[in-house]
Amino acid sequence: MRAKLNLLAAGFGLLISATPLLAHHSFAAEFDDKQPVTLKGTVTKIDWMNPHIWIYIAAKDESGKVTQWQCEGGPPNSLTRNGWTKNALKEGDQVTIEGFRAKDATNTCDSRAVKLPDGRKVFSGTADDGGPKAAGAAQK
Amino acid sequence: MKVRLNYWMLTALMAAAFVPAAAVGQGRAPKPPEGPAPKLNGHPDLSGLWQRPYVPDMTVTTRNGDQQADASLPERKVNADMQKKGPPGPPPKELPFTAAGKRVWEAYDPAKGDYTGSCLPFGLIRSMNSPDPIQIIQNDKYVALLYEQNTWFKVIPTDGRKHRDIEPTWFGDSVGHWDGDTLVVDTINFNGKTRLDTIGHPHSDKLHVVERFTRTDLGHIAYEIQIDDPVYYSKPWKNTRTFTLRPDWEIMEYSCEENNKDFLEHHITGGLNPDK
Repeated sequence: MRAKLNLLAAGFGLLISATPLLAHHSFAAEFDDKQPVTLKGTVTKIDWMNPHIWIYIAAKDESGKVTQWQCEGGPPNSLTRNGWTKNALKEGDQVTIEGFRAKDATNTCDSRAVKLPDGRKVFSGTADDGGPKAAGAAQK
Repeated sequence: MKVRLNYWMLTALMAAAFVPAAAVGQGRAPKPPEGPAPKLNGHPDLSGLWQRPYVPDMTVTTRNGDQQADASLPERKVNADMQKKGPPGPPPKELPFTAAGKRVWEAYDPAKGDYTGSCLPFGLIRSMNSPDPIQIIQNDKYVALLYEQNTWFKVIPTDGRKHRDIEPTWFGDSVGHWDGDTLVVDTINFNGKTRLDTIGHPHSDKLHVVERFTRTDLGHIAYEIQIDDPVYYSKPWKNTRTFTLRPDWEIMEYSCEENNKDFLEHHITGGLNPDK
């Protein structure tokens, strides 16, 4: 799937297309843009509820130590309209989550990208790369 | 000096915090079906499921024009360095703050928590700004706006009645009348506990809002909102938007409260703003 957004050029474009990252709370209130994290591990649960989905991951570091993390994703209604469902990830799936850590030192992150081992992203853009039919397509 | 989270910092933060949400957002609406606006009892029928631009900052004009700030306002002064790092598109506008308005605006820090964090009602203006769609259902006596955002609604009587004499509310008291093909909605009696937009522009309980809805054709509504709040702004100012019909969408439930982990686990606070 081609990259949807060029970060360098699209700061404002993100504002146009961004779903409520800021609609009900401030990123800066909760997360630290100076603490990026990359978590590789196994999905243990998905919460598919408003206002944001949550992905729970048993993340394994280089030494093999496993830590439980919870990472916030997008709003479920927008994801649904873009063709995603909670079944895009199942308990036991291997994923890599890139994001930013919460300021309060809990194992909480704001997920920036969620990738499968083959590099495909889930919960990003539309699901027309083998996932469910993109909800944006006209059905009438 | 306290660093206030201003528009440019906000944009930089959002650019840095590229979350999947950004890519799965509403984005640009596809071209809607063409044709004239349908009519109901001699007036344009506003009924439909409408996609709207997300407006986190009402002083901004987007490049594609689907949201336009008040052209009569002066540009906000930003230094050259911030100008370079800022978003593409026209510079944002400077609002005509009174001394009280400037004080309340500069005291606002979203990093310290916002009332919406606890799923308190967004209020009228912020609900009109939200990225989720609205469904409009019109009959000959009422126009109902169903906001997917937090599953709220607003019912506007169009039978010529006056404002009610009731306690102030989150969404204010609205009455509507037709001015030719434009529905004009007049709203007063706000409780003053909300903000105008995500970035935190303030309003008082003396706010008076006038909205104009014009279904220009089958697929579009031209929307204008005027903010008139003499406590915080020395003159009224406006914002215009374009809503696009989405015949392929249905409205969905949105319970903000059902899993508000950010708030329930105390990662954020979300009471009423202390600086009102």
